Amino acid sequence: MIGHFASRRDILKGGAGIAALGIGALAPRSASAAEMTAREKELYAAAKQEGSLTWYTAHYDDQTAQSLGRMFEQLYPGIKVSVVRTTAQVAFQRVSQEIKAGAMQVDLLSTTDIGHYVYLKDKALLEKYVPDNAGRVLEIYKNYDPDGFYFVTSAGMVAMGYNTTKLAATDAPKNWTDLIDARWKDKVSLGHPGFSGYVGTWVVTMRKLYGWQFFDKLAANNPQIGRSIVDTVTMLNAGERVVSAGPVAATMESAQRGNPLAMIYPTDGAVLIVAPSGIMKGVKHPNAARLFMEYLMSAEASKIQVDRFGETMRPEVSPAPGVVAAKDVKTIRPTVDEIFKGIPEVIKQWRDTFGV
Amino acid sequence: MSGGLDTLAQPGGRGMLGRRFAFLEPSMALWLVLIAVLVFLVASPVVRILVSSFQEPETGRFTFANYAEAYGNWRQLRAVVNSIELGLGVALLAGLFGVPIAWAISRTDMPAKGFVRLMVFGAFITPPYLGAIGWILLAGPNSGWLNKLWMAATGAGHGIFNVYSMPGLIVVVAVTSFPYVFVFVNSALDLVSSEMEDAANILGAGTLRTTFRVTLPLVVPAIIGGLIISFLEAIALFGAPALIALPARFHVVSTQLWQFFEYPVRVEEAAAFSLPLLIITVLMFWLQRAIIGRRGYAAVTGKGGERRTIRLGAWRWAMLGYAFFVCALAVILPMTVLLQAAFAKAWGRGLSLDNLTLRNFTYLLFEQTQAQQAIVNTFVYSGATAFAAIGLALAIAYVVNRRLVPFSNLLAFLCMAPFVIPAIVLAIGFYAAYAPPPLALYGTAAILILAYTTRFLPIAYTASAAGLRSISAEMEEAVRILGGGRLVAIRKVLAPLLKKSLAGSWLLVFIPATRELSSAIFLVGPNTRVISVMLFDLSEEGNFEVLSALGAILLIITVTIAAIGFRVIGRDFMVRSAR
Amino acid sequence: MSKLALRALSKRFGEVAAVDEVDLAIAPGEFVSLLGPSGCGKTTTLRMIAGFIDPSAGSIEMDGRVLSSPAGSLPPERRQMSMIFQSYAVWPNMTVEDNVAFGLRLRKLAGEEVRRRVGEMLDVVQMRHLAGRYPAELSGGQQQRVALARAIVIQPQVLLLDEPLSNLDANLREEMRFEIKRLHEEFRITTVYVTHDQAEAMVTSDRIAVMNRGRIEQVDDPHTLYTRPKTRFVAGFIGRTNFVEGTCDGATVAFDGFALPTKLIEGEVSGRVTFSIRPQSMRLSRERSPGGAGRPQIAVTILERAHLGEFWDYVVAPNGGALRLKVTAPPLDVYAVGEAATLEIDPRQMAPIA
Repeated sequence: MIGHFASRRDILKGGAGIAALGIGALAPRSASAAEMTAREKELYAAAKQEGSLTWYTAHYDDQTAQSLGRMFEQLYPGIKVSVVRTTAQVAFQRVSQEIKAGAMQVDLLSTTDIGHYVYLKDKALLEKYVPDNAGRVLEIYKNYDPDGFYFVTSAGMVAMGYNTTKLAATDAPKNWTDLIDARWKDKVSLGHPGFSGYVGTWVVTMRKLYGWQFFDKLAANNPQIGRSIVDTVTMLNAGERVVSAGPVAATMESAQRGNPLAMIYPTDGAVLIVAPSGIMKGVKHPNAARLFMEYLMSAEASKIQVDRFGETMRPEVSPAPGVVAAKDVKTIRPTVDEIFKGIPEVIKQWRDTFGV
Repeated sequence: MSGGLDTLAQPGGRGMLGRRFAFLEPSMALWLVLIAVLVFLVASPVVRILVSSFQEPETGRFTFANYAEAYGNWRQLRAVVNSIELGLGVALLAGLFGVPIAWAISRTDMPAKGFVRLMVFGAFITPPYLGAIGWILLAGPNSGWLNKLWMAATGAGHGIFNVYSMPGLIVVVAVTSFPYVFVFVNSALDLVSSEMEDAANILGAGTLRTTFRVTLPLVVPAIIGGLIISFLEAIALFGAPALIALPARFHVVSTQLWQFFEYPVRVEEAAAFSLPLLIITVLMFWLQRAIIGRRGYAAVTGKGGERRTIRLGAWRWAMLGYAFFVCALAVILPMTVLLQAAFAKAWGRGLSLDNLTLRNFTYLLFEQTQAQQAIVNTFVYSGATAFAAIGLALAIAYVVNRRLVPFSNLLAFLCMAPFVIPAIVLAIGFYAAYAPPPLALYGTAAILILAYTTRFLPIAYTASAAGLRSISAEMEEAVRILGGGRLVAIRKVLAPLLKKSLAGSWLLVFIPATRELSSAIFLVGPNTRVISVMLFDLSEEGNFEVLSALGAILLIITVTIAAIGFRVIGRDFMVRSAR
Repeated sequence: MSKLALRALSKRFGEVAAVDEVDLAIAPGEFVSLLGPSGCGKTTTLRMIAGFIDPSAGSIEMDGRVLSSPAGSLPPERRQMSMIFQSYAVWPNMTVEDNVAFGLRLRKLAGEEVRRRVGEMLDVVQMRHLAGRYPAELSGGQQQRVALARAIVIQPQVLLLDEPLSNLDANLREEMRFEIKRLHEEFRITTVYVTHDQAEAMVTSDRIAVMNRGRIEQVDDPHTLYTRPKTRFVAGFIGRTNFVEGTCDGATVAFDGFALPTKLIEGEVSGRVTFSIRPQSMRLSRERSPGGAGRPQIAVTILERAHLGEFWDYVVAPNGGALRLKVTAPPLDVYAVGEAATLEIDPRQMAPIA
């Protein structure tokens, strides 16, 4: 197909990559395999008619998102996936614009701010669809919306990252509250809740645990404020800052590439972000969207996520040896309601405290 | 040859349809259509914005609340002040960079002119946000290369350059804006014949005195034009401030407006907030007219000019040194850093053989589905924009210059008006006016090209008007009296004479269009993404390696197209060595 | 019927009347100059004839057809006229040949025909050998020839020239003056010529319209204009002159310092009249000559003198009066300042002015 280079070489590369990390020699399934369920076959036939899918996602970094898109195209030939990766608030804003304009470009929306979905469901802008795979994911990811309008398709943790060349493991902070200590002045790197759903959820959690004074004191330490939470990885890599409140997946993936980074899991708990996906009402390719939703909750998708240090959705897919997963550490999580109400509030408070 | 008065057929071959039609110029209909297009492009979005600023969000009722909200907050007011500070600083610095270099290249015997020109061009095609990233890599307070060098050399605890500051932002923006000043001043200086300077020299004035008292005053309109454009660019910029001002913890108007467009979108408040910028720009425009006045600047009347260079002696090395310094700031330093990142596995690890890789490029070109489409889109849209903008601007400039309709100055104002509106707000205006039904242009290439055309109309118009002004009206009158209509005059005389200038103007629109971010960010849909938006999205997650590679691709293709363009323009056919 | 007729033509710019009620009828083939100082309205009039400016009042007709009026004007491209501009306006992006061929090509003549006519025209202006050159390679005079060729080759109904020689140096100007006259004699195209230089106008024109402040003061052939100026302005503008006031009481016209019999004066005079007496129309001599009753002789004293090579300029005063008169004399007639002499006046050359 023109415009999309799914060559044999890439399939081999993909397979080799997975094998290289010792995840398991599960060969990639192809559409012709008899293992496709009846529902899957039905969806695939309808989706193939539609021919393409547009996916707005904030769940991963660009490369992971692209990998997921490509794997889907290989598993279900004939459906082109347009992957648009942005931060959560930017994605949501674009979707709002499309709703207002009455011209939906997006088919499947995956943001990291669960509050978006509460809002969308409330305004009857989501389509109900319960994937078969909904029952096959890990328990902690089930049943966020019993009515079936949105489902968790990815998760990640926010913990404290640090640059190993500038800081010895013994000197690193142990808990969130250590960050407000004066010795971390000019040394901290953060994202911005006005852009990133991860950061928004983290801020809500910190506020819940320690009150807003935590941030007043943190402001005195002059942290570097970026936009996405992945910005923190860059800042640490560059040596511009030394510690971060950063995403575990991206930080560890960067470390694996040879960068001097390591992760500390705070004693009060790493913040667990559950990120849902939902199909908007009135989209152009509803069947493709449904099929993709199934795919995101499938074992193949989890393998790719784990391959890139993300959390697995499925019990049968285990993390790489030596990699810390959510079930191995203490995690804390605000409720959906707290997120829904809290994120707009903390964005305002953040602006007042930090000036931007 | 006999003196017989056998009348030749009337040119045009048309019979007189009736006295009234005969008395009308046939091209009048065309002018009216063009004026209607101008109104559609410029007036409609502007009016939508102005009207929205007085409307309540859901109900549309008249209210002042938006203004109260927008200006009642001290932080938001501060943003306005910051923008003005940024604009003034950039204009000043761009002038300091651009004018001496333009003078040196146009009128002196400074060596290595070709190289300096190339560097200036490099600065011109570099998107400001790409330059900002380069400067972040260079002058981040702890990690920037320059600071690391300083710390290594002096043993200091921390660096001396902090790019995350207002001065830092000013420098970053000025080094990508000064090419505008350079282009204007250089072309104007090229038209000044050496006789002007000879006259001063004979009377006893030395080089410097002549330059400041005679040469530069002759090109004051060009200098002012360039400074004003730099100022207006700076206050409307979004990308570079988003990257630098935010970590520096201050807002400018454009980044503040960006906030108004976070969810929930507050178009009305944004409209109210963009008013000071509107007013400032109107003032700038008025100021420029007042300074230039009604003096005609017809410098080309069918005779070529002659230019000789000024010998600077030993000073030419000093001049080259200064030019080199500016080029280093603008191009050499940031590009080096970005190149390193483009070929690095992890740029933070610095230059080392095991850090080299081509992976970033292969990822972009072969694996990242968006990148290919974005690359094609960028150049196609920019090309279309350049043709549309130049075509429209030239036609309007013609109508204004020849005073074909009453109130032609209003047309000139409309052409320049898009300057007034920050690109973001212009995009919002377009979005509000044309995205929803009945036109339903949301997510299409059309809305992007229309918005771009409107955005770059001022540049196209300024260049076209300047070009037209420099051609005496008699050239065209000679065509008309011989039987050709205005359109024939444009086709056979004006356009060829303007060829070089038009080609230059085309590039002057095309190149900024390729790097345009501020207006694109709201108008792109998933299928109409352009490189600038992609770069911005990539910068959000700090993926500097891939970002640098994409930036490199953008620059390489733009340079290639521009190089081809310069070859096509050809030699200067008007000045031939003869007498 | 006249070829070109201007009827009460006026043009106002705001409060100012640049052209004020101009009436002029030009016969076919005639060469008429609009002569006057800058700001007198001659160029504005010309541009109205061309159709670049619309009149505020009055009309312009050609062959009886109205071309311009306040109600509407035919655009320049439809008037079948040609124009030569002060800046020549030769197009720098075309060769000499292309410039000259332009009008012919617009009229859709066949290529061969165009080439032939252009070649002939270039021969006429002696520019054939430069046919392939570009204007930037030509001198001012050569460019002007190209402009002329371009204008004439299309055989226009009317040829308009807007101060075509003012950008040339003096020698070239004289040469081009004759060139223009020669071309006019050869082709006999109705021509309207605008200039501020009286010598140019005198050499080339059949008639001259002298303009001042938007109005035509007098239209006559050059000789009549010179010998019989009707207004002070015309008398002073064309050549040099003396203005002398006299009072007529029937039989004699009395001046300051001398008197003349009324019957010697040509034209009706009564009451106070101003006369224009040209310096060349009076003669200085040392003795009173028997001249005759028709030539009054006045005793004068030389006040000033200047030698201009080709003639002497003397300022003399009639004895017994405060008058000062300028007189020219041949180079060998040398008088000293303060010397007494006799001034002979030819009343036939005295022009009464309103």
